Amino acid sequence: MAATRTASRACEIFTTLEYGPAPESHACALAWLDTQDRHLGHYVNGQWLKPEHRSSVPCQDPITGENLASCLQAQSEDVAAAVEAARASLENWSTQPGAIRAQHLTRLAKVIQKHQRLLWTLESLVTGRAVREVRDRDVPLAQQLLQYHAVQAHTQEEALAGWEPMGVIGLILSPTFPFLDMMWRICPALAVGCTVVVLVPPASPTPLLLAQLAGELGPFPGILNVISGPASLGPVLAAQPGVQKVAFCGAIEGGLRLLIQEAVWDETMRRLQERMGRLRCGHGLDGAVDMGARGAAARDLAQRYVSEAQSQGAQVFQAGSEPSDSPFFPPTLVSDLPPASPCTQAEVPWPLVVASPFRTAKEALAVANGTPRGGSASVWSERLGQALELAYGLQVGTVWINAHGLRDPAVPMGGCKESGSSWHGGQDGLYEYLRPSGTPAWIPYLSKTLNYDAFGLALPSTLPAGPETGPAPPYGLFVGGRFQAPGARSSRPIRDSQGSLQGYVAEGGAKDIRGAVEAAHQAAPGWMSQSPAARAALLWALAAALQRREPNLVSRLERHGVELKVAKAEVELSVKRLRAWGARVQAQGCALQVAELRGPVLRLREPLGVLAIVCPDEWPLLAFVSLLAPALAHGNTVVLVPSGACPIPALEVCQEMATLLPAGLVNVVTGDRDHLTRCLALHQDIQALWYFGSAQGSQFVEWASAGNLKPVWVNRGCPRAWDQEAEGAGPELGRRAARTKALWLPMGD
Amino acid sequence: ESISKQATEIWISKIQVNKPAVLRRAEQIQARRPVKKEWQAAWLLKAVTCIDLTTLSGDDTASNIQRLCYKAKYPIREDLLKALNMHDKGITTAAVCVYPARVCDAVRALKAAGCDIPVASVATGFPAAQTHLKTRLEEIRLAVEDGATEIDVVINRTLVLTGQWKALYDEIRQFRKACGEAHLKTILATGELGSLTNVYKASMIAMMAGSDFIKTSTGKETVNATFPVAIVMLRAIRDFFWKTGNKVGFKPAGGIRSAKDSLVWLSLIKEELGDEWMKPELFRIGASTLLADIERQIYHHVTGRYAAYHDLPMS
Repeated sequence: MAATRTASRACEIFTTLEYGPAPESHACALAWLDTQDRHLGHYVNGQWLKPEHRSSVPCQDPITGENLASCLQAQSEDVAAAVEAARASLENWSTQPGAIRAQHLTRLAKVIQKHQRLLWTLESLVTGRAVREVRDRDVPLAQQLLQYHAVQAHTQEEALAGWEPMGVIGLILSPTFPFLDMMWRICPALAVGCTVVVLVPPASPTPLLLAQLAGELGPFPGILNVISGPASLGPVLAAQPGVQKVAFCGAIEGGLRLLIQEAVWDETMRRLQERMGRLRCGHGLDGAVDMGARGAAARDLAQRYVSEAQSQGAQVFQAGSEPSDSPFFPPTLVSDLPPASPCTQAEVPWPLVVASPFRTAKEALAVANGTPRGGSASVWSERLGQALELAYGLQVGTVWINAHGLRDPAVPMGGCKESGSSWHGGQDGLYEYLRPSGTPAWIPYLSKTLNYDAFGLALPSTLPAGPETGPAPPYGLFVGGRFQAPGARSSRPIRDSQGSLQGYVAEGGAKDIRGAVEAAHQAAPGWMSQSPAARAALLWALAAALQRREPNLVSRLERHGVELKVAKAEVELSVKRLRAWGARVQAQGCALQVAELRGPVLRLREPLGVLAIVCPDEWPLLAFVSLLAPALAHGNTVVLVPSGACPIPALEVCQEMATLLPAGLVNVVTGDRDHLTRCLALHQDIQALWYFGSAQGSQFVEWASAGNLKPVWVNRGCPRAWDQEAEGAGPELGRRAARTKALWLPMGD
Repeated sequence: ESISKQATEIWISKIQVNKPAVLRRAEQIQARRPVKKEWQAAWLLKAVTCIDLTTLSGDDTASNIQRLCYKAKYPIREDLLKALNMHDKGITTAAVCVYPARVCDAVRALKAAGCDIPVASVATGFPAAQTHLKTRLEEIRLAVEDGATEIDVVINRTLVLTGQWKALYDEIRQFRKACGEAHLKTILATGELGSLTNVYKASMIAMMAGSDFIKTSTGKETVNATFPVAIVMLRAIRDFFWKTGNKVGFKPAGGIRSAKDSLVWLSLIKEELGDEWMKPELFRIGASTLLADIERQIYHHVTGRYAAYHDLPMS
């Protein structure tokens, strides 16, 4: 009987030519779950940890709803145990020669290769993602990541001299993430000698499997620990003693926003619909499926967006024939969305594409850059000149030209704006887990008493303190290329080391900061487009001017109580800093060769935009110049708050800058440091903030800057040796003064 | 029917093929559409009906042509077809394809076997096309006279490589005329065209000049039917269909030997052009040894065993 049934099917299929099911067996994934009696705990210090009296959550097949296993939920003690394991193995792991770490990572890569089917079926089974996506992309890339970072570990002693591993790294993964995102983060961390504790959301077995594979390799069991638990454990993890950094990993890529030039709109939409119409949705473990499901929540999100868009008059194209009661959602193309509709502003959910037309490339760039996101983008054009111009202009971390979604371990992947400012892959990814040698370890110090609402809010009133003695310092806020009276129309006295009045400086406030940021933004396009050589020439001209002004600057420093010899050295070093950064900026960026692409990947270093710097009190001239020089060299425009106790040398430099530099390139605002810091940190249109001052100020800056996720660099109240090469002019400054962009350029005709 | 000079220029001058993207798509298509079990058997039979069973050797004689024709009529062992309930569906290959001098033999053999499978003849100085236009045209006429109803002409690569698109168009027009009622399949010899952009342009010109099929290669170049080239040609076919409403067929040839390959080719057609192209009127596979492997796979599907060499009749 069976034979007849088979036969009649063949006859029917011969006519319909439909695709049949191509199920990938997931028996091995289930067998692995069976080894744990379908009851998963945490994997800590090379063994399973299954503490008693914990609640557990079910791990379900997102498509059938079938219960696959139950997963224990961690509590604070479990987090502490995992951190303790990571801390205990840190010393051993980090002091191993790079070659040993390299060997270990290579062995893990080989283990993954040997058990890849288990890995891809398990991942596809529990996430619902299409198995081909995991099998053909994620698993090979995971191996490549391990191999690439093994090489990095091998050369670490030479290539990364002067840097040391941060220590224990905490990694918090969001509910919908592929295990690959974990690999992008743990590989560099392990390679440089850090140990890791990963907090995965409930019911994510793949990271546990990976930890088990790594743990069973033997000699270094505690370097990778995985605990599963709710996101509310995040702060617990961050507060554990010894945790040096906590990295977050957001959701997987959502939908896409597509900008199409009007001239090719019809043609492009037609081709897009044709192609989307042939995408196949279905059970993730079917080998002939392009798109799996991502669970009910993702589906509802997409459905809501589509309904909302439709109600606002948008056109919706949906291809495919998935049953509507399943967790599937078809690939959807939304167009004609009115520009003012809330959908246009909202993030596009998976699996949607929102298309809108543009007229000129300039307009496209304005639209693309007009969002708070800055992860990645692709440019499709046969005119290379135009494509490159757009690629350079896009404010994102990765740009592909005539390609999309390519990844390679050697190419840094990151973003800007709200997409965050951390990097994965390449050299840039390694530095995320390194600190300059000798930097003190970070102690999680959060003052509970700091009142964020009040910090720096009140401006202390200042009264006249008598007449100035000696030559009056330059007066005013240096904004837009000239000295201006402060908005508050009041001044603060600056006393010398004897306590007598040295002069008055302007009392800057919120309005002055706003003006300074505006001026800096106006100067930004001009300065960014300058060639490195032109920037270098200006820095050298400024160095020469400082040299001419040396006697003046030395006497200012002396009045502040600096010894003559030291004052002279400070001016000399400042001159040297300007020259050094001028010279360094000329050697920027590089081209990488990667496996997945014929053609180069350019690693560009681009300016951050407007950079705000709050200078430390110490080394009033040298610190000011040491921070200013790398910022300018990398093409940023700057708003600075000089030393509070001794702002006058900085103002003297401003007099030179007034004649030498384009207006608005450097803006210096004097006044109450806490107040100005508050104004800067709460400003949404500043792209980065460096703060050197009190621990409280640092804490405030970090808290307030979360508003636009701008990168911050704070010293937490620790003084820096500005006169030393490493701390005053080291590579760390250059790294922080620019951001990386990876530009993929495929070739071939 | 005649397409204006302006159209010619617009349709081909602005074309630029994105090679890296084509390569990527070509790589993906091979891994993303596995066809298993009954589906595989049915698809393989469909592939059989699309085969131009070919022999193009210097040592072809009447006897091996006769064997080839017999195999074209009975491509799969009767009992295997019966097991699949496909024995009465008239499963034969789409055509037999031979050199012009062997057309008579083939026509005679097929007549003797009592079937109307068309005979295709290669022509126009196959495979290099480096003969005079006059003799190339004469070759077509003679093959048609001998009873070939499909003519596989090969284009003049010199015209492509030197960018003489108008001259290429005119030549193919003359081939078209010489074919008369016979179907014109135009071989682009893509392995010798230099770039994918040239492949697209040559495809478009061949279709504009009235080809019924465009075909990848002669089987005699060093690079034959590859997936990247196929994607470019299929996109050209789709563009031509969108512009004119005419459906032109596609024939990959050369190097297609395994049953698995033939499944990928079918899924490629399905993905790029749709189900309506998955029939012998619009899709052919030029192959000689492919059929044997398909028959082996079907044997395995039906019996659950792998066939020995002697289990299946040779062609």
